[in-house]
Amino acid sequence: MEFEPKILGIACNWCTYTGADLAGTTRLSYPQNLRVVRVMCSSRINPSFIFRAFQLGADGVLVGGCHPGDCHYNTGNLYARRRLAVTKKILEFAGIEPERFRVEWISASEGNKFAEVVREFTEQVRNLGPQTKFKIEREPMPEKI
Amino acid sequence: MSINFKHIEDKLKTEAKKLLEQGKVSIVLAYGKGYDDHHPMPYVARNAADVGNIVFNEFCTANLARYLVRYPRGTKIAIAVKAADSRAVIQLIQEDKIKRENLVVLGIPVSGMKNSKTGEIIDSKTTCGLYNPVLYDILLGKEVHGKSVISPYDVLAEYEKMDKDARWDFWKKELDKCIRCYACRKACPMCYCDPCFIDQNKPKWGEKSPESHGNLMYHLTRFHHLAGRCIDCGECSRACPVNIPLYLFHKKVAKECEEMFGQVAGMKIEDKPTLVNFRVEDSDKILE
Ligand code: SF4
Ligand code: SF4
Repeated sequence: MEFEPKILGIACNWCTYTGADLAGTTRLSYPQNLRVVRVMCSSRINPSFIFRAFQLGADGVLVGGCHPGDCHYNTGNLYARRRLAVTKKILEFAGIEPERFRVEWISASEGNKFAEVVREFTEQVRNLGPQTKFKIEREPMPEKI
Repeated sequence: MSINFKHIEDKLKTEAKKLLEQGKVSIVLAYGKGYDDHHPMPYVARNAADVGNIVFNEFCTANLARYLVRYPRGTKIAIAVKAADSRAVIQLIQEDKIKRENLVVLGIPVSGMKNSKTGEIIDSKTTCGLYNPVLYDILLGKEVHGKSVISPYDVLAEYEKMDKDARWDFWKKELDKCIRCYACRKACPMCYCDPCFIDQNKPKWGEKSPESHGNLMYHLTRFHHLAGRCIDCGECSRACPVNIPLYLFHKKVAKECEEMFGQVAGMKIEDKPTLVNFRVEDSDKILE
């Protein structure tokens, strides 16, 4: 069976999530590998979410926020930009492929861009293969007795 | 250049005595005797009679800025600082944990401090490599001149050119050793959160017992929380009972922050800590 990556998407309520909505209502198709979580702002994202997602089995993490300057709270994504840049460097120095983590600015009117980014990122992660370094291997569930 | 430690100790005693007698401060943070000469301990002098217990020698490596946040706000404190420790004081002032006007900073210019565990000289390999305090009210002794052996980031080159899988293996091997004694966070002047994220139960960020995944979560997040704040004193690595080279990761994060945001932690009181600040002109390139 072909490897299907599991990708966590964290999208800001005002831009990227609405953009994803737009992609849906305009019936654009994009890979179903993405599971989206909505947050109120990209600066709500605690970097530990990303480490934790990788531990719990995500093969890639995609963060979406408003374009810098367009933040609903004016400056949230400007803080997020600095913070997530550091997150990326930390992942890289720890030895995980930095390509598994991506930040994109997608506005509410960019349904097309959303679909495009998801398509591209899914392919990228698919090529990298399963993420095993951080992943917590669980014991398989016992058979029913 | 040789440092006269006895001389510094005498000066430290004189200044401490003066400050306590004049009532300018209510406590003096300095070093006192441990169980032997190689293991001096942090010491709090509360009155002029205590001052006799103060010592200073080449093993006084602890970063006393660690203790500043333990006292109620407004306590007048005098603190003995070496180069990196003074940067910790600046960083704490930036973060509004302490007020400059409540502090008397006794700066100690010094080189050739020794690690009490290994006896090795501490240089820019494991610390920032500065000799003179960046901030002080009273300087005990003469400024030390001469360059640090290497730049504080040179030690990283070897690890940066490693293949990423090799680097993962390296960190996995190192972090798997961790016994989660939390000495690193206890020794660090910047780790003052109560409770620490790893001690929280809701949400539970990671396993609390010493096992790979919990260790990874604890350390990566700690490196992240110290981004742009770590002042490279190297105390965490010296405190670690299993000798994990935590300083490497902290140095790497500090280097990246310096390259991306053009600011070094703990150098100027007026600065804002890197990650609670932004510039509109920050480029999106940093995310690539
Ligand atoms: S992380 Fe380590 S080197 Fe950095 S400030 Fe804390 S104790 Fe010092
Ligand atoms: S001091 Fe060392 S062993 Fe203790 S928690 Fe920190 S890294 Fe782990």
